Amino acid sequence: MHCSDSISAAPESLHPSLWRASQLARAGTRCVDTGHAALSAQLPGGGWPTGALTDLLLQQPGIGEMRLLRPALAEVAARRIVLLQPPHPPQALALAALGVPPSQLIWLRAGRTADALWAAEQVLRSGSCGALLCWQNHVRSDSLRRLHLAAQAGETLFFLMRPLAAGQDASPAPLRLALRPQAGGVEIDFVKRRGPQRDAPLFLPLTSHLLQRHAPMDRTTPAPVTARGLQSQMVH
Amino acid sequence: MLEGERVLIASAGAQAAGVKTGMRRGGVLMLLPDARIHERMPALEAEARQAVALALLQYTPQVAEAEEATMLMDVGASLRLFGGIRALCARVRENVHALGFTACIACAPTARGAWLLARASAGRPVRMASLVRRLDRLDVLLAPPARAYAAWFEGIGCATLGELRRLPRPGLQRRCGGALLDLLDAAYGLSPELHEWIAPPERFQARLELFDRIEDAELLLAGARRLLLQLVGWLCARQLAVERIAFRLEHERGRVARPPTSLEVALAEPAWRDEHLVRLLRERLARLALDAPVIGLALEALQVRPMAPVSESLFPEPGGTEEDRMRMLELLVARLGADNVLQPLPRADYRPEQANAWVPVQAIPPHKTRDKAFEAGLPLDLMSLPRPTWLLAKPIALLMRDHRPFYGSPLRMASNPERIEAGWWNGPQTRDYFIAEGQDHTLYWVYRERIGADDTEPRWFLHGLFG
Repeated sequence: MHCSDSISAAPESLHPSLWRASQLARAGTRCVDTGHAALSAQLPGGGWPTGALTDLLLQQPGIGEMRLLRPALAEVAARRIVLLQPPHPPQALALAALGVPPSQLIWLRAGRTADALWAAEQVLRSGSCGALLCWQNHVRSDSLRRLHLAAQAGETLFFLMRPLAAGQDASPAPLRLALRPQAGGVEIDFVKRRGPQRDAPLFLPLTSHLLQRHAPMDRTTPAPVTARGLQSQMVH
Repeated sequence: MLEGERVLIASAGAQAAGVKTGMRRGGVLMLLPDARIHERMPALEAEARQAVALALLQYTPQVAEAEEATMLMDVGASLRLFGGIRALCARVRENVHALGFTACIACAPTARGAWLLARASAGRPVRMASLVRRLDRLDVLLAPPARAYAAWFEGIGCATLGELRRLPRPGLQRRCGGALLDLLDAAYGLSPELHEWIAPPERFQARLELFDRIEDAELLLAGARRLLLQLVGWLCARQLAVERIAFRLEHERGRVARPPTSLEVALAEPAWRDEHLVRLLRERLARLALDAPVIGLALEALQVRPMAPVSESLFPEPGGTEEDRMRMLELLVARLGADNVLQPLPRADYRPEQANAWVPVQAIPPHKTRDKAFEAGLPLDLMSLPRPTWLLAKPIALLMRDHRPFYGSPLRMASNPERIEAGWWNGPQTRDYFIAEGQDHTLYWVYRERIGADDTEPRWFLHGLFG
């Protein structure tokens, strides 16, 4: 009798790192809110995990990945935000418009992959940066594990941007998302998360303040507009 | 090792072959024809003692040199800072080892007692009573003034210091002189001791002769660490922090003489601990291409300033202090190069390339003016300017298909044009910028060149991607 009781009890009440296959895990570390309610609801802990490797698989650079990360970056912008080997020169003005003040930005260029991985490890281990965004095409799995370990040493938000094809390979990252552009937003595939398997991609509207302002009036604006977007529309 | 043509000390291998202390050179060569025999060099020994003393200054300002290659340190005031006597001894041992020497360490409430214990490797008593107990068991000949009377002591059956103490004092003084009694009194804490503390030099300059021709950066680093240890001791003793240090790597002299390679390390935050200096130096040495083997190292402190100890806060900041951040950036600069660690410094200019300026982190003016410098370059209303997150380093000329620009798929203009026409003084631009949408709904920032395209089809360029 007693035994069956403990089995029927919720697994999370037995140990914090247990969860049912049908429910989302609770995060072991602090999470930073994604700023997109629909996405937060789908992530363990309700946000981007700090102190862990997060894999973002991009169809190509410039499909709205920075707009997706905007609220989280703005939240951790009290500390430095490091861009490591971005695909193109970043534009400080645009990042300032996304809520990241230029005084907090660092752009690292590395000649070789080994240098880039070393730099990433140093940034993570120092723990004095709010976020590290790293672009890499080919990373060996042992390097990934090493980066993940380094990330656990601190509370840095760590995103590794890789091409979609990298989704085929195994990765120690507890959260892996694939992004594809869609009309008025991005489509997010949950490649891996601590929670139930989700096959249907999640469409996330990313309202760009630029487009709203300059869009022709007859253009059908896609789906819901966030409160923030509305306000800025009214102000202008 | 020979001193005055007599063997002074021999390695374990030589001893196994029968080499004994006091042998002559000829005898050694007969036993071991290929033995490496060195003459004792007092000047080098003095230099080594100087180096050790300098390194030990980081634990206490009171370091004195005593006879028979011993160092006396008064650590009474340093115990708490370094976490107790055991931790301190371990650190001292490690430092001396890093300098390339081995040490017998002993501590005692009296300096002379510690000296005797160290000579006999007889432990670390901290209380007077246990010191007396241990000293009583020591060989009487450990005390230098007693050695001249070794035969007499043996004759009267006095073998230990304890037995020596029981002899009547007036008789002992008459036979052996006052020096022995003074030493005993000092060791047992009956009379005060006076030391000549080592005074650190005004300027720091240290040299190290390497034992071989070295081409490997790792080995060089080991040599550099020895010099840095001395530097740290010197800095602590003089209460200074270093801002700029210079290493000189000396190459072989002779027919292929070349000037020494110089390596300068400048620090954003003055430092007086060696971990950070060692890490910086490792990256710098790894990048250095040596033309010739190195036979000597020299270190000089070029620029120092008074040490400003960090104020420890009760609740440390989660992100570390500003110094931590500077240290991380310095490390990155040391490996990646100054041109690859960049920070934005926006300029007030309409042309996107000019507005988006990135400069090396170290070129940014210091703390106070920083935020103002950034704000001056930003437009008042950030949202009014649509700017892409990624700006291509060089605009890509776009193909035209059906009078539409084409990039992977036909591009559809999603915004009204933004006309940028500026820069008549240097590199004029006359462009109409649009936000364009590809068939897969990716947003691009494209522009149309206005001047010079009247006669032909308009020329389109891709200039940015909206991240």
